[in-house]
Amino acid sequence: MTAWKESVSGRRALTILRSRPFLTLAIVAAVWIAASFASRGFGAYGHLRYLVELAAVIGLVAAGQTFVVIAGGIDLSVAAIVTVSAVSLPLLSWQADPTGLTAVLAVLALTTTIGLVNGLGVALLRVHPMIMTLAMATFLQGLLIIIAGGSAVTAENPVVRWLGNARPGGIPAGVLLWVAVSVIVLAAMHATSFGARLFAMGANPLAATLSGVPVASTTLAVYGISGFTSGLAGVLVLGMNGQGYVGIGDPYLLASIAAVVLGGTSILGGLGTYAGTIPGAILLVTITALITVVNASPGWRSILFGSLILGLLLLSGREQARR
Amino acid sequence: MSTVASPRQGGALYWPVQLRRNVGVRGLFAVVMAFLVAYGFLFPGLLTAAGFAKFTQSWFPLALVAMAQAILMLTGGISLAIGAMVSLGAVIAATTMTGPLGVAGGAAAVAVTGIGIGAATGFIVVKLRLPAIVVTLAGSFIIGGAALLILPRPGGAIPEWLSDLLAGNTPAAFVLLMLIVLLWKLYLATPLGLSLYAAGENPVGAYRSGVPVDGARVAAYAISGLLCTGAGLFVAAQTGSGDPVIGTAFTLNSIAAAVLGGIGFLGGQGTMRGALAGSLLLSLMISVMFFLGFTPVAQYVAQGLIIIGAVAIPQFRKVQQ
Repeated sequence: MTAWKESVSGRRALTILRSRPFLTLAIVAAVWIAASFASRGFGAYGHLRYLVELAAVIGLVAAGQTFVVIAGGIDLSVAAIVTVSAVSLPLLSWQADPTGLTAVLAVLALTTTIGLVNGLGVALLRVHPMIMTLAMATFLQGLLIIIAGGSAVTAENPVVRWLGNARPGGIPAGVLLWVAVSVIVLAAMHATSFGARLFAMGANPLAATLSGVPVASTTLAVYGISGFTSGLAGVLVLGMNGQGYVGIGDPYLLASIAAVVLGGTSILGGLGTYAGTIPGAILLVTITALITVVNASPGWRSILFGSLILGLLLLSGREQARR
Repeated sequence: MSTVASPRQGGALYWPVQLRRNVGVRGLFAVVMAFLVAYGFLFPGLLTAAGFAKFTQSWFPLALVAMAQAILMLTGGISLAIGAMVSLGAVIAATTMTGPLGVAGGAAAVAVTGIGIGAATGFIVVKLRLPAIVVTLAGSFIIGGAALLILPRPGGAIPEWLSDLLAGNTPAAFVLLMLIVLLWKLYLATPLGLSLYAAGENPVGAYRSGVPVDGARVAAYAISGLLCTGAGLFVAAQTGSGDPVIGTAFTLNSIAAAVLGGIGFLGGQGTMRGALAGSLLLSLMISVMFFLGFTPVAQYVAQGLIIIGAVAIPQFRKVQQ
């Protein structure tokens, strides 16, 4: 009896050890330990906290991206949405509300609407997700130049500033926000019928439709969520930077997709978890930090970044062989 | 009569087949023709030799990257590194052609780089089974970084006679494009070219029927790379120098042109003539907006709207039927 129990728990432990989220986490830990031996300041608590704070922005963008990718799509407009959020928020800071919360809510409503428009295009007009979101990114890029005119805008919003700089209990507010979002995302993904529909849709859209999954509304929701979390990331990045400018969101497109794929989610949809995306985001930030330590020219930095991501993908991101 | 009938059998089948393949893109051809007529009406300069030369020159690089993207999409792949490859081609051309290698050596360096990087990308995607979109996204960083290493800021030079030949008042771009289309037709008749559609449409079925699926796909990536760096060489000749980020806009535009031209994302759907017509339409739209005095901002907005509209309207009609 006990032997049987032990073998079950042993097997469960083995499954956890072999799971992709755990592997990605192990890589992060290995890199952190190796780097802190190689470079003195790297392992300091303050530096690691700073890394996680940076990863929070990627993690938020990648939360929406994980939903979209699992549902079988892709969102290439996240970078533009982050920028929209960070640039339009300072313009919305009304004097009437001293906390600035209404402005934040208004911006989040705006970015969620942008996401919903993406979803409408994909679900109802049946435009391929890549085209729909790329065209949306182009469209927003034009709109942004109209709104911001190429100059940086400073945020005077108290809520945003608190989010970017406050450290309640020694933990950055942005990281707390990320933890809260992660809990909600993981619950929605793995403990609700919405989450189950998501995986069904990504694995086989036709079978999902035939078994009664409301594909159109689920698609709409998924892109709406992506717009929302990208907007949230924009607010956070604005708080951390103090200024918003056109192009502030650009690094987060590749980062969000890379975090999702490094975390073991299949880019083809139907397979994956946000639990892998979280260490994926931290891993990405760590790589960037290591490259900055090397102190190379922009060309070499770009090459190193691309090669490291490619190398990590080779280690872990391979698709299953076709049967 | 009967003696010539049997050798003509293949020829007799050829044209009906080609006509059938036009079915999906007829509407697009009509729109392109209408746009061309309107453009010729608005700017009568199109009908002069110099105007025609300038017009085909603005279309040429877009046509090349549309073909580069279309080949990949026909095999079920995609590349987000098109823009970086164009930049790399431009930078290599601008740094080698006035050096000891000369024009021929420089062109060879551009071609070898394109084929080499393309084949390497293809190998990683096909043999190591990594998703194309992620590989090419990471690849765009590596390739873009390499372009920055070769030429950190805009500079270098293209020999003046080459610029005049390719981007002066000669129809060289049009002739080159026709030549490339002819080569594409010939390629489709080779074993690898024949495998292209099969590998994209149904890879497992094609593999089981003895089609060299992997070879066809890697070859498609190599050709795609060559077309991209070739487009980069042309862009460098147009501007007379190299710029490490000049190709950026081509990534989106290549996908847009291919999709406007009816190439499907799932592989095996669409024709190269459609992709070329799509790139012509996009190029026409960009020049019309430029001549009508649209600001770059309005161009972005209009381009985004037109692309969605052009892709959505046919789908929408299909759904309604």
